[in-house]
Amino acid sequence: MKVIHYLNQFFGGIGAEEQAGVGLEFRDGAVGPAKLMEQLLGDGAQVVMTIVCGDNYAVEHQEEVTAAVLLKIKDTGADLFAAGPCFDAGRYGMVAGALCAAVQDQLKIPAITAMSGENPGVDLYREGLYIVDSGTNAGKTRDVLVKMAAIGRKLVGKDPIGLPAGEGYLPRGLLRDQLVEKRASTRMVDMLLSKMRGEKFESEMSPISFAPVPMPAAVKDISKAKVMVITDGGLVPKGNPDKIQGTAATNFGAYSVAGRDDLKGEDYEVSHGGYDTRFVQEDPDRLVPLDALREMEKSGVIGKLHDEFLSTCGRSNPLSNTRRLGREMAAKVKQEGVDCVILTST
Amino acid sequence: MVGSNRVVLGTGIVHVTGDAKLPPEDEKELRRKLVQKALDALQSSAKS
Repeated sequence: MKVIHYLNQFFGGIGAEEQAGVGLEFRDGAVGPAKLMEQLLGDGAQVVMTIVCGDNYAVEHQEEVTAAVLLKIKDTGADLFAAGPCFDAGRYGMVAGALCAAVQDQLKIPAITAMSGENPGVDLYREGLYIVDSGTNAGKTRDVLVKMAAIGRKLVGKDPIGLPAGEGYLPRGLLRDQLVEKRASTRMVDMLLSKMRGEKFESEMSPISFAPVPMPAAVKDISKAKVMVITDGGLVPKGNPDKIQGTAATNFGAYSVAGRDDLKGEDYEVSHGGYDTRFVQEDPDRLVPLDALREMEKSGVIGKLHDEFLSTCGRSNPLSNTRRLGREMAAKVKQEGVDCVILTST
Repeated sequence: MVGSNRVVLGTGIVHVTGDAKLPPEDEKELRRKLVQKALDALQSSAKS
């Protein structure tokens, strides 16, 4: 079995945070945790190449790094791609996830990685990847690699992979058919009785969990603040230039309102299949309240109305997607020096 | 989140910051009030 392993600058032995800007390197053979991975895979498995990159460099040049990695390993005949474990290192996790997803989807080479449940890479890639739950303690590297190797071997052998709890990977949100002895009503009553007796029981429905998001501080002086509008109601210029889909949208658009005091229906359309859009079509201020905000800008109630509003369609969208859209929007808002946002949602 | 003081209740799904049933000037006045409410919310500490 030929294996290629990705590590960040720290686990690749280059250095800590001060070396996070270091570029992509391809090294022959196994380095650092990849050596242990090789041992644990056993059966003549060989890590033929270790790829190392600084976390900052990798995140800032993600497309370039991904393309270079794909090109490099395309003709190596590798059977397995491994990355990490990344623990709670966010940049490392995001890059490891991106590389594993690209290698798996584009080169059809199975991939395995490991992160803690809170790593932002998990939200982005859990549905498509086996991500071993590494916890946050790098002292457990060996235990984590044992699980990565076990799943990796199964992936290469095309053997069935068990449930998340048994194999030690993070739930992917997939539903799987399973034959059980008792019918649903009996199982429900059993669970209820267990609950009443104070005994342990395992629910068959796991609620979606939301990581707590810290609330942004109050705006100190709105008369000096730059205000922006974002909407998930699907308002787009006529012709929908960014092709924002009316359901499960994967992108958002930024549209100029510079010099406008009022939004006119004739200039816009609504890409949203989930509500009756005629009223917004008639007067887009009913979704993006530009006329009122422009008046307040002129009278000094607010400092400045940002020259663009952002828009996407918030209908029937998987969380993994909306989280990414949210992150991308937040990055743009921050970059453009916006102080506060009014988000209108249909 | 329900009950958060950073969430202002709009007029309805089909016209969050308006009301098609009102005459135009009244509708605009309603919009001014809603936006002012949102600005007030932005200037208050968030209670979750």
